[in-house]
Amino acid sequence: MTTTEQSYETSPQLRDSLKRSSSIAAFVGLVFLALTVAGKFLPGGSDQQFLRAYLVGFWLWFGASAASLGFLMVQYLTGGAWGTVIRRPLEAGAKTLYVMSFGFLPLLIWVDKLYWWATPAGLADKVIQAKELYLNVPFLWVRWVVYTVFLIGFTYLLTKWSKEEDDTKSTKVSARLEALSAPGVLIFFLLMTFCSVDYLMVLEPYWYSTIYGFLTIIGWGLTTMAIMIAVLVSLTKDEPMHYAITKKHFHDLGKLLFALVMLWAYLNFSQVLITYSANLPTEIVWYIKRWNGGFGWVSVLLLIGHFMLPFFLLISQPAKKTKRVVQAIAIYIVLIHAVDVYSLVEPNFTTAEHPQLIFSWLDVTAPLGFGGLWLALFFRNLSGQRLLPIGAPDFVKALNHGRDH
Amino acid sequence: MAQPVELPDTIYVGPVIDPGHSLASVSDKVGGIVLKRRITLGWVFGLLLSFVLLQNLMAGATWLFIKGVGVWGINIPVGWGFAIINFVWWIGIGHAGTLISAILLLLNQSWRNAINRFAEAMTLFAVMCAGMFPVLHTGRPWLAYWLLPYPNTMGLWPQMRSPLLWDVFAVTTYLTISAVFWFVGLLPDLATLRDSSKSRTGQFIYGALSMGWRNSARHWQRYEKASLLLAGLATPLVVSVHTVVSFDFAVSLIPGWHTTIFPPYFVAGAIYSGFGMVLTLMIPVRKFYGLDDIITLRHLNNMAKVTLATGLIVAYGYAIEAFFGYFSADTYERYMIMNRMTGPYAIFYWCLILCNVINPQLLWFKKIRTNPLILWIISIVVNIGMWLERFVIVVTSLHRDFLPSSWGMYWPTIWDWAVYTGTIGLFMTLIFLFVRVLPMITIFELRMLLPGAEVKEPVAH
Amino acid sequence: MSGHTQQLEDGLYGLMAEFETPGQLVAAARKTREAGFKKFDAYTPYPIHELDDAMDLHDNRVSLFTLIGGILGCIGGFSLASWISAFALPLNIGGRPLISTPMFIPVTFECTILVGGLTAAISMILLNGLPTPYHPVFNVERFVNASRSKFFLCIESEDPKFDRAATEGFLESLHPEEIAEVAR
Repeated sequence: MTTTEQSYETSPQLRDSLKRSSSIAAFVGLVFLALTVAGKFLPGGSDQQFLRAYLVGFWLWFGASAASLGFLMVQYLTGGAWGTVIRRPLEAGAKTLYVMSFGFLPLLIWVDKLYWWATPAGLADKVIQAKELYLNVPFLWVRWVVYTVFLIGFTYLLTKWSKEEDDTKSTKVSARLEALSAPGVLIFFLLMTFCSVDYLMVLEPYWYSTIYGFLTIIGWGLTTMAIMIAVLVSLTKDEPMHYAITKKHFHDLGKLLFALVMLWAYLNFSQVLITYSANLPTEIVWYIKRWNGGFGWVSVLLLIGHFMLPFFLLISQPAKKTKRVVQAIAIYIVLIHAVDVYSLVEPNFTTAEHPQLIFSWLDVTAPLGFGGLWLALFFRNLSGQRLLPIGAPDFVKALNHGRDH
Repeated sequence: MAQPVELPDTIYVGPVIDPGHSLASVSDKVGGIVLKRRITLGWVFGLLLSFVLLQNLMAGATWLFIKGVGVWGINIPVGWGFAIINFVWWIGIGHAGTLISAILLLLNQSWRNAINRFAEAMTLFAVMCAGMFPVLHTGRPWLAYWLLPYPNTMGLWPQMRSPLLWDVFAVTTYLTISAVFWFVGLLPDLATLRDSSKSRTGQFIYGALSMGWRNSARHWQRYEKASLLLAGLATPLVVSVHTVVSFDFAVSLIPGWHTTIFPPYFVAGAIYSGFGMVLTLMIPVRKFYGLDDIITLRHLNNMAKVTLATGLIVAYGYAIEAFFGYFSADTYERYMIMNRMTGPYAIFYWCLILCNVINPQLLWFKKIRTNPLILWIISIVVNIGMWLERFVIVVTSLHRDFLPSSWGMYWPTIWDWAVYTGTIGLFMTLIFLFVRVLPMITIFELRMLLPGAEVKEPVAH
Repeated sequence: MSGHTQQLEDGLYGLMAEFETPGQLVAAARKTREAGFKKFDAYTPYPIHELDDAMDLHDNRVSLFTLIGGILGCIGGFSLASWISAFALPLNIGGRPLISTPMFIPVTFECTILVGGLTAAISMILLNGLPTPYHPVFNVERFVNASRSKFFLCIESEDPKFDRAATEGFLESLHPEEIAEVAR
């Protein structure tokens, strides 16, 4: 054991400010969510329009919750200082799943209002009938229960044991965390692939793409990493993070963010090229909707804004090491990823006759509403725990990362 | 005010190099394998055996040139048989080398230092073997330069929309950059060999190859920069190479080939098979050259973990392929999956599942990961599994296509086997020669891992 | 001081000090720079990043050339693919446009890496002045250890501050294992 005088407790000012942030975020979130719901009842609003916007907002922030759990498990397996310093923020992010998992309920309850396959016309369709074994409403509910049990169960165990590790500093607990994470990552990848099929891919009823699970999970991972970096920068204003986090930590996290940007582009390009080359009617339709009409500009925006710009910003080493800069880039990435989610959802509702951009103010209020709600939960979770895992076996090593000792 | 906090000690994971080594001793040990160690009977026997195997390639290629590609088992509907299977297999094996040297360099994983040189050599040799197949498959290999875009009297240009041409660009770039990366890494070690060689010939050859490298700090600074840049460029390159290989299949319309998951799934499979091959070669080399204090159990453990992780991604790929075969609701896709699992080649599919899905699960256990013999056997099964995977992808997708009237079967002929086993002979011959003439471990990077290498400036007075 | 010393300095490449540990070398290199010497070099069996700082080595030309090479490769690759497909041999392939951008990305990418990587390696070698068939430092017998286990610092006679006796005195003050004259 090493004994140190350095305190790793959250300072009271920080705790207060986290709680205050939580309240503000909750207020903002609820206002925007209320506006989104109101949009449904205002003249011109419809159930489908509301649900589409709901899906955009919910999917963006559910992804942040789910990928927090994913990263939490990955960092137990890979080790490394980057994982140790963001472990507690990741836990706080994962704990939002206690609420976020139930965000699927409106999509399940009004499934026939959003998903064509669940309408009587869809259910009578030959192609849909051929997939009936998987694509039916009762089984959709069953799958939701499975996802939720997995997400909440794993989050509960991992956060509980992590606290135990802090208190007991027992390596047995550390070994248990690792042992749970290994199969956890595997199950996570499989279940979340199916989740992305269930709620996004089937918006375009005949279309399918086998890379979709990867794409979804990497997109979520990108959002989460960006949020974690942005939050970590703010946390370094106070103790204990002010002392604990070095430039090297930001550099490592920045490199991960950069890798995720590249991976996002790589997976998307693979899907584009394979679809474009084969030019099959059932497949190319997905891209025609995103290239013709108004959504073409959204795709161009994504190409430049979601890949090229972050690529050139993050390739420079000073940018990754300067807190303010990397925070600004991180926040920008969350915003542009919201556009990506929007373009995963809305273009599916265009038709050859009406290829125009589908956009309503609900598409803005819903992500903001869910964002507020998510951050409120996140900050609340964060204020209730120690910000650093002082019981982790590699904590001292992670702390000394990038320091001259 | 602050209460003293007790922090747990960092768990010691075992040394990268066994303690007791010094700057001089690692140089002498690794360099000595090349300079001092006498030629052993085992080495001669191994080289001979590989060389004999290499003659299969000579015979197979000669007969091929005399008769044409008809001597192979390929025919409509399976026009791509062993040639593409083996090409992909070899290219995949090559990936571990670049991965270990480039990605792990960027990730600051110091354990890579003991194994990168060997793995890079393996990359080069594997890419050479891979290159044999498309060149031979052209039927007129002496005209293979037609693949390159150059102005010619025929007024012809290669088709830039064809993935086969992308392959030409990807594989030649890969071979070039791997060779450059390898040579740059060798420079300082060649200088070490030059300086410690006792024979005039050795001094001359290693001296010429090292280009007069003199370990100057001003040189090292640019050297380190260039190494990092090369690593940064090689990382996306290695991903792109197997991606392009996967495009060979995926941009077509054939069920079983045309699927968007192919790029990441091929890359993962390549790394998986590459690490399998590194283990297959490294475990015996480590034993016969007494290098277990430099290539420690920690290395084997880490490589086994990477093998397990990539193996799981590959397994995910199989699961997704099967699921989407159903979910596509497409007659041909569904038939293709059913045919794979229950058709005439079903035995290959289930063997592949055994080798690539069941077999790596053993690596969950640390006892197995640190047992060289069992790990070696598992790694060989991995190699077989990845070969079967390519066989299944190529043959089962092609042999029963859209029209039942054009269905057929594919079986390799003796000449297919001759060329395939011949490239294994070529690969092994090159490996045997390599371990004798060049340092198989990067000596200068090994020095950096030693406790004495740390800069502790004397306190100023 | 007479012509004798002058003659000796003509045949002298520099003075070389040998150190046992990297720490001593880094300290010595820093002091040498602080003493105002410009033409000196350290020789080490492996790269020591602390030396970059101690000797003020910040040559970024390799990165710059690599960037230029990469950009040229990128533009070249895409132009090659487009020129061939649209002008040199225009063919209609399944109704795709003559310049089918997504399908040219792989070639563009490979060309970027190829030219960039080659530039990185070649510019490193050339900027280092390699190949160097002859170099005076090898005249010191113990210098073979620079590629094995020892650390050297050489102050060159071409340095304006170089003075046979004074420089030797300066090197003595750094407490080396040994000091050797480097014949030209």
